[in-house]
Amino acid sequence: MSPRTWRNLKREFRRSALAKVGAVLFGGVVLVAVFAPLLAPHNPTAQHLDLEFLPPLGFSASRTVSTTQMVNGSVETVQNTTFVAASPSYPLGTNGLGQGVLSRVIYGARTSLVVGLLGVLVAAVIGVPVGLTAGFYGGNVDDALMRAADVMLAFPSLVLAVSLVGLFGTATIEVPDPWVALGLAPNMPPTFTIPGTVVLVVGLVNWVWLARIARGEALTVSEEEYVKAARSIGASDVHVVRKHVFPNALTPILVLATTQVAAIILLESSLSFLGFSGTTLSWGFNIQNGQSYLAEAWWVATFSGIGIVLAVMSVNFLGDWFRDALDPGVEGEGGV
Amino acid sequence: MGYARFLAKRGLQGLFVVWAVVTVVFALRYITPGDPVAFIAPLDAGPELRQAIAESYGLDEPLYVQYGRYLWDLAHLDMGQSYARGTSVSAEVLGALPVSLELAVASTVVAVVISVPLGVVSAVNHRQPTDYAATTLSLVGISTPNFWLGVMLVLLLAVQFNVFPTSGLAEVNGETVLFVDALRHLVVGETRWLVEWLAHITLPAVTLGTYFTALVTRLTRSGMLEELGESYVTALRAKGLPEALVRYRHALKNTLIPVVTVLGLQLGTLVGGAVITERVFDLPGLGSLLIDAINQQQWMILQGCLIIVSGGFVVVNTAVDALYAYVSPEVTAE
Repeated sequence: MSPRTWRNLKREFRRSALAKVGAVLFGGVVLVAVFAPLLAPHNPTAQHLDLEFLPPLGFSASRTVSTTQMVNGSVETVQNTTFVAASPSYPLGTNGLGQGVLSRVIYGARTSLVVGLLGVLVAAVIGVPVGLTAGFYGGNVDDALMRAADVMLAFPSLVLAVSLVGLFGTATIEVPDPWVALGLAPNMPPTFTIPGTVVLVVGLVNWVWLARIARGEALTVSEEEYVKAARSIGASDVHVVRKHVFPNALTPILVLATTQVAAIILLESSLSFLGFSGTTLSWGFNIQNGQSYLAEAWWVATFSGIGIVLAVMSVNFLGDWFRDALDPGVEGEGGV
Repeated sequence: MGYARFLAKRGLQGLFVVWAVVTVVFALRYITPGDPVAFIAPLDAGPELRQAIAESYGLDEPLYVQYGRYLWDLAHLDMGQSYARGTSVSAEVLGALPVSLELAVASTVVAVVISVPLGVVSAVNHRQPTDYAATTLSLVGISTPNFWLGVMLVLLLAVQFNVFPTSGLAEVNGETVLFVDALRHLVVGETRWLVEWLAHITLPAVTLGTYFTALVTRLTRSGMLEELGESYVTALRAKGLPEALVRYRHALKNTLIPVVTVLGLQLGTLVGGAVITERVFDLPGLGSLLIDAINQQQWMILQGCLIIVSGGFVVVNTAVDALYAYVSPEVTAE
């Protein structure tokens, strides 16, 4: 990163309140995701059926249980309404399996962040080379690659993602959790599940956007004098793209990649909500789960959604900050 | 380049994309794991039965014959028979389409009705409390997953306060009510159908429309701000045109052209959002059909949904481009 880029970032950061909010929020999400096993009060997958549907602190819940009893010689159904008090050990309550909502929200941050970052990486690994090649060579190569991109864009991303995950299945990668391996969080799940298919698919459905921006930059840069000069002294195409075109295209790619992280976090939660995920430690899964008993336990669906909103908003704020700082040519939309 | 030539070129391009989409969908079946015969045949089917099934569905023929027949049938709007149910896929898809279209149109109406005035008010009151409130709201709006918003709306307005029904299509006398049915009854003076329809469509439309409301508010606001700073606006004000006319007759009109384009481009998001909204509210539209088809491994129905959704998307995008070129002729000049 050049000193000028750094200076622009810092100046914009001082000026924009939203950039500060975004940085703090995003930092928080990263910390929660990294230290999840140390922060979560309970194992998010362990079931305690005797502790089902505990309300969050400050709330109480009533539960009506019907029992059949013999009353004066006849069989009668008796309805008992019991009050359930909140437990300080489960600050956000529990779900129908007695799993702590707070612990599940904390672990959900991990899944969202991992899928968001890995997904954008997959998209960049496919999209950036394709875009640079198309823009650098132009002509027929460009036409062919961009028509392919048009075809990709004809499939709405959620529809394509759902179909691909549905058809290829939900393969997962189990990664040992370092905190548990070190013995610092003995009661937590020993491995963390990365929804592998989902990561690949969200990358696959999003590469086009990165390809398009990389192509646009490559088209402009290829016309620059220094690129022509490099070519005239016999530099190979690969060398020119690596040394001149790519570094110049990097800033807009990074700005777009940031907003893509937000889009991918939303896409991942949508997939989990629809039941195509591979891991149950996901905000979208929790919301789907909580929808089934909204009347009894509103807290199960509510808190995971707040997690998504905060995470996506933080990334959007960072994206606005990068765009305003690095790309003054682009008209800002917000500007509070 | 004239408008006619532009239309022809854009139309050909659209046709190519539709063909490519259809081909990709056909190819998907052969690159995904799972033998199509296995989708249809019972688990204990012997080789003879499998062979018979393959023959009756044409699955034993060479790939190019299958592909040729597939294209031929599609050209005749025949998307084949569902393997498991034996029903016509075209009928299933066309039956589900109105529910999705209704949802899409209703949410677009919600979005436009709220967002354009909000964006204008925000721009006119630049850097004042109203502006900050609108900007903050739209920032939250574009970061909220629509399915969660839907669940929260149900929690608040259906479960807690019982203002709206939680899910499903409107029903009167045991018959489902779509917008056309509501209109038909309204013409003869019966409002009950329309009321029922409105009660059932409101929460889904708001759920799906919120993201677009937020997006279009941002676009309208920044567009208006830009237009109000243009010199033609100063000229109009200088010649004494009332401020209302300057704002709405001139500045707003110029703002709306890019807004319409973005709405066209975001159609894919709308369709994707419709899929998930239908799931939240248990509406029997294309999205529900698609998800069920995936869960039950109903290849033919999945194929039909993908073709209709993507094909429709390409057609609408081409139409938006044509419209855009018509209102701003410099586009055809490239």
